[in-house]
Amino acid sequence: MMLNFFDQFASQSLLGIPLIAIAMLVPWLLFPSPYKRWLNNRLITFQYWFISRATNQLMLPLNINAHKWALILVALLLFLITLNLLGLLPYTFTPTTQLSMNMALAVPLWLATVLIGMRNQPTHSMAHLLPEGTPTLLIPILIIIETISLFIRPLALGVRLTANLTAGHLLIQLISTATFVMLSFMPTIAMLTFIVLALLTLLEIAVAMIQAYVFVLLLSLYLQENV
Amino acid sequence: MKRGEMVFIKEDTICMCCNFKEIFYVVLAIHFFDFRIRAASAFKGSSALGAGVLHASRSLHTSQQSLAPLPPLPEKGGKVRYGLIPEEFFQFLYPKTGVTGPYMLGTGLLTYLLSKEIYVINHETVAAASIGIIIIYGIKKYGPSVAAFIDKLNEEKVAKAQEVKDTAMKCLDQAVQNEKKEQWRVDGRHMLFDAKRNNVAMLLEINFRERLHMVTNEVKKRLDYQIDVQNLKKRMEQEHMINWVEKNVVRSITPQQEKESIAKCISDLKILAKATQARATV
Repeated sequence: MMLNFFDQFASQSLLGIPLIAIAMLVPWLLFPSPYKRWLNNRLITFQYWFISRATNQLMLPLNINAHKWALILVALLLFLITLNLLGLLPYTFTPTTQLSMNMALAVPLWLATVLIGMRNQPTHSMAHLLPEGTPTLLIPILIIIETISLFIRPLALGVRLTANLTAGHLLIQLISTATFVMLSFMPTIAMLTFIVLALLTLLEIAVAMIQAYVFVLLLSLYLQENV
Repeated sequence: MKRGEMVFIKEDTICMCCNFKEIFYVVLAIHFFDFRIRAASAFKGSSALGAGVLHASRSLHTSQQSLAPLPPLPEKGGKVRYGLIPEEFFQFLYPKTGVTGPYMLGTGLLTYLLSKEIYVINHETVAAASIGIIIIYGIKKYGPSVAAFIDKLNEEKVAKAQEVKDTAMKCLDQAVQNEKKEQWRVDGRHMLFDAKRNNVAMLLEINFRERLHMVTNEVKKRLDYQIDVQNLKKRMEQEHMINWVEKNVVRSITPQQEKESIAKCISDLKILAKATQARATV
């Protein structure tokens, strides 16, 4: 079967069943829930430790009203990290490369933060449209600019994640194709390219984790402003 | 497949997969073993899967056994060779094909897949190779330290509970020793009482002697007073008598006697003066 470079980004469906649903749900199997024992095995202990550290870190700058978001933010973090990292394995499909899914995550959550801010403390959240200490003449222009930046936020969140992951995957595909093609007639160059590929894969692992963290961190920041 | 069964096989298999290498074995296990678990309740006595069947048969929560405590978890995960294939597979093939059996099977399978182009080598293979190298390197290098860290987390939990137990035992030991010391102190109570009795007697003695002393002083004062009074009386009598005698003597000296005495005194003085002058010129 010949692979097109963009086949990995097309949403697959088998016999009319969209496989993206399975791709999004299978990572749930990798996280066992703790059973009714006092001492668990290593995987569950590690998972528990990681989740408690992540929750602590995320909720540190937020006030008590925002702690209601702890569950959804940490669940989102785990979800994105798992999807991103699993996507680096060969022949896998990464749902987070689809703009539709990322926008579906970003827009509702961002909108929720804005609406919470507008509903509970409208003056305070409106005040965010004007930074402190601006000269009087610039105020109208700055309000417009800040409003535009406010509405661009969900777009930026979604597109950032999509673009980073898509670009990374595409690069991996291209460089591995280059290595594969050069293997027959220029093996040394192929080896060098393979080293580049290894370094790129390391970068991609880092990017996968960082992008997930940044997504969630920005959401918590927007929440902090509005709550 | 009921959800309960799924959970148990998942949990049971997770019990056996204690390190990161075996994580995706879980997903495979679900496909390989689910049909067996469905029949597990039918033949509980079969030892095809051992502990897995035992756990699966408890999943229906019908008998009293569901209330009994769970059997303990195994200490270590199941043994795997090359991080992927469990030891049981090699043991399974050993009687028929010996030691090299599984390896021959693996090599043959791989050759078959490659030669018939069921698995095509393309750029994804290269990508798979690069990420495979990184994963294996990462696990080999950082696996033991991560495992040690996680074990330390568990051990800290146990140590905290152990500390509570140890502190409680130490406190109880201390209480027992304190009680024994109190009992020893109680045995010496008669010494305490004797000492107290001595103290009281001494106080009484002191008090008595003070009062005695006071009484003596008072009596002495009275007697001294009487003596002083007598002395005073004698002295006054003496003085009075002396005064009376003197007064009478002075009264009895007549003027005639006075003149005679003065003339005699003058003549005595003259004689004396002469005598003295004579002595002085000599």
